[in-house]
Amino acid sequence: MFERRLYHHIDFGLLAAILALCAIGLSQIYSATGGWTAIVETQIVGILLGTVALVVCLSIDYRTLADKSHWIYGAVVVLLIYVLLFGAVRGGSRRWIDLGAFNLQPSEFAKATLALVLAKFLGDSRRGVVSNVDLVIAGAVTAIPLFIIAKQPDLGTAATLIPVAFAVAFVAGMPMRLLGILAVVAVLAAPIAWRFALQDYQKERISTFLDPAQDARGAGYQQIQARITVGSGGPWGKGFTEGTQGQLRFLPVAHNDFIFSVLAEEQGFAGVIVALGLYFFIIMRAIQAAQLAKDRLGAYLVLGVLASFTFQVIYNITMSAGLAPVKGLTLPLMSYGGSSMIATLAGFGLILNVRMRRFTN
Amino acid sequence: MAEKPAHNWRNTLKRRLLVSVLLLGGWAVSIEARLAYLQVVRHSHYTERAENQQVRTIETAAERGDILDRNGNVLAYSVEVDSIYVVPTEVGDPDAAAAALCRALKDCEARDRSTLAERIRRGRSFAYVRRQVSTEQAERVAALKLEGVGFVKENRRFYPNKELGAHLLGYVGIDNAGLSGLEATYDSLIRGHSGTMLVQTDARRLVFSRLERPPTSGATLELTMDQTLQHIAERELRVGVEENRATGGTAVVMDPLTGEILALANWPSFNPNTYREARPETKRNRGVQDLYEPGSTFKIVTASAAFEEHVVAPDDLIDVSAGRIKIGKTRVINDDHRYGVISFTDVIVKSSNVGAIKAGFKLGPLKLGEYVSKFGFGRRTSPDFPGESSGIVWDPAKLTDSALASLSMGYQVAVTPLQMAVAVSSIANGGSLPEPRIVRAVIQDDKRTPVPHKVVRNTVTANTAAVLTEIMEQVVERGTGTRAKIPGFTVAGKTGTAQKVVSGRYSRSDYNASFVGFVPSRKPQFAIVVVVDSPHGKNGYYGGTVAAPIFQRIADAALRLRGVTPSVNPQPPIIVDPRDGGNRPLQVRGPAELPGRNESSPQAPVKGVPDLRGLSARGAMQAIARIGMKARIRGAGVVVDQQPAPGSTIEPGTTATLTLERRITANTESSSSGGTQQ
Repeated sequence: MFERRLYHHIDFGLLAAILALCAIGLSQIYSATGGWTAIVETQIVGILLGTVALVVCLSIDYRTLADKSHWIYGAVVVLLIYVLLFGAVRGGSRRWIDLGAFNLQPSEFAKATLALVLAKFLGDSRRGVVSNVDLVIAGAVTAIPLFIIAKQPDLGTAATLIPVAFAVAFVAGMPMRLLGILAVVAVLAAPIAWRFALQDYQKERISTFLDPAQDARGAGYQQIQARITVGSGGPWGKGFTEGTQGQLRFLPVAHNDFIFSVLAEEQGFAGVIVALGLYFFIIMRAIQAAQLAKDRLGAYLVLGVLASFTFQVIYNITMSAGLAPVKGLTLPLMSYGGSSMIATLAGFGLILNVRMRRFTN
Repeated sequence: MAEKPAHNWRNTLKRRLLVSVLLLGGWAVSIEARLAYLQVVRHSHYTERAENQQVRTIETAAERGDILDRNGNVLAYSVEVDSIYVVPTEVGDPDAAAAALCRALKDCEARDRSTLAERIRRGRSFAYVRRQVSTEQAERVAALKLEGVGFVKENRRFYPNKELGAHLLGYVGIDNAGLSGLEATYDSLIRGHSGTMLVQTDARRLVFSRLERPPTSGATLELTMDQTLQHIAERELRVGVEENRATGGTAVVMDPLTGEILALANWPSFNPNTYREARPETKRNRGVQDLYEPGSTFKIVTASAAFEEHVVAPDDLIDVSAGRIKIGKTRVINDDHRYGVISFTDVIVKSSNVGAIKAGFKLGPLKLGEYVSKFGFGRRTSPDFPGESSGIVWDPAKLTDSALASLSMGYQVAVTPLQMAVAVSSIANGGSLPEPRIVRAVIQDDKRTPVPHKVVRNTVTANTAAVLTEIMEQVVERGTGTRAKIPGFTVAGKTGTAQKVVSGRYSRSDYNASFVGFVPSRKPQFAIVVVVDSPHGKNGYYGGTVAAPIFQRIADAALRLRGVTPSVNPQPPIIVDPRDGGNRPLQVRGPAELPGRNESSPQAPVKGVPDLRGLSARGAMQAIARIGMKARIRGAGVVVDQQPAPGSTIEPGTTATLTLERRITANTESSSSGGTQQ
């Protein structure tokens, strides 16, 4: 199954960039949590397990995986329902399956699984132009895990499924007119959603985003602190483990959602440019992999996986710079989180997989 | 069919990916711009904001300087104690927290608990729970490990001798600011400079690290006051006031040569450790704040003026036989007795109002007024007492005959006891008016800076002072002040009995009984003023019967304390061993050659067990140790009884039992001074 010549087609540049970001993330977690802690150890375990997952996802031909995708999808949905019913409760939501040493978060794996399923469905080479029925089915396939995850509740992770579906549909040739209609509907729905659908705390988050100073001690606090953290870093940063904002807990969950701010504080603008460059490189390499893909399935799979990754990167960095409402979205590859790390690396295993097999039959 | 869609999807993919990449590139550029703006352009602004919220400057109180007496005994010192505060936003349930804190503090009532809960509920970042708690309370509260409860160190003032010198020392408020007495006057000196503490705090206001600029400790004050003498003065004054059922009193002991105040006692008094519980009237420093009409003691001034201006000589005969004098048309002033024709000396010795008024009239208002002012009346005497009253002295040019008559005998003039002490000091020292001082030296960083003595002006010539001294000696020897006699010493003094003004009229029942004087009269060491307010006891209300005995007891103890060589029948110099400092009262008394000194052992053998009665515990212990014996102390105060008895054979190594009591009992009093009065 794994031919020796395939090894030469692995994109080692992409792999190196991924591992470099993991290392940067790990060092910032070390700094933000104040030394060698259980959090750092968990992250190392996450990276190691993620590497294993990456190798596994790399080894099995993505077409084989795509053929079994409905089973994988079914398994993930069952796991999500299980979590909803019996999961471990932390911070008011059920997201985890307690495995003793490790807490598994199935929603993280829903992203790559969804990409696989949608790629398989819309990328079937026998299919012609994407029809409206196809789009409705794709929407339904997306909606099932999305609603279950939103019910946990974990709106952040649920939201990352939308880019997956959208990206695959978009590149698969979703009519531009439909895109326009969706945009109009979204604009019209916003005030109605504001009125009826959103919870008070959600409204608060949005309004404080628009004017953080109105509640500097409350909901706008994190946003202001993010700006202070990034801004006080300066061009060259305060130095490794010298970041005061994160360590003095002014920035909440610094090792998690705000890891990029911690990086900006300690390594300054220079460090930020390096990290941004790595992310940009990874995304461009993945897009290249999509273009090089041998078939529609491969291209769509790559872009589906990449869509949730890119969405999270963009959102998290924008938030870390104090430009987006604070939302519990982690920065993939850098933020603390075992399940997220494993799922992300597994996703990149799929991307490498597609690129590696571009010449095979 | 299979080829064509394949071609299509790649084109679509390419086109749409291009759009996506462009959007991504747009985002990348804008986020870079944003980060550059935050980190490069606005860098200093955000650095400042970060520091503002991370670093707080806290003032740390400097340690307040001590106050010592002239021998280095500590009268006031500061210790660090805990104050408990709470960060209200970190407290979940204010009522529960308040209840828990109250239980830990123990001395906390239901009302305190509800106000505390209310304080926690209202406050945001800081509220005191209780300031300056005891160590035990602090430990109990710390053991609760309550969220949001913290401790700060604060300085608390302690006065180890409690009431001793309370009016002089004053007290310190909870914020380490002197509120009264020397603590207030010298606050800026004693307080020191507070340091700053840069505290790095985290978002929960927990202290992370600190950088300190240490506070500078305040200066230590060394007072002119002698703790032992102060104690004696307070004890005797209190006994005297209570014995005479008076409302209060003052005793001032001053070194007449330097103006140093050796003791300033007031009764009633208060405990500065718990100054908030003291009644306001007990906190008044009567010695410098209260005005009184000096009455006959003021005749010293009249006489001084008369001698200086040569309008009267001591031996001039004055006819006071009428025992009364008519001023103007209606006012008549009486003497207590009819003395006949007497010398001016006797006018003072017997305290004849008529004689004093006649001298006053010979002087005239301007001359008398000049001397009143020369002696320092009507002005504040000392910078050490900011609350000092200046007194009331009428403009001499506007004195009517009646007022002149009053002034001559010490009425229509209001003075403070301290002013009186200064005036009598200038007679004692031969004519210079010292500035009274209570601070002897300021000690800062182990460097002692003495406060220089000051002479304000000269009052009378040395000759006049000597003549007056002689007259004042006779006052004690054969006049109104015989109860001030001290065996072995010549005493100069003057009594005063003045009607108090009660609701605008001179009272027939309330008097100020006073006595001023100095000892030993020819080589004065102590100028002493005793004023007793409204005595109603068995001794009557006269200065000679009420104030003179108090003066006598203070002066006697002071002389013994200093080890002053008796001026009458001086002993051979062998008695006082200079290597011993010469201030052991024991050695003066040891030979017991002083007439009537100890009736119980008039001829105590030199080598026998000394008479320790009247000595403090420490003095008695030293005396006992010197003869090679040990002592067991029973009770506190001064020695009232001893075993073995004075004069018995010394058996080195054995233990003597000393019984001490707080107050001098009638017994000991008579044994120390009664003999001379009979």
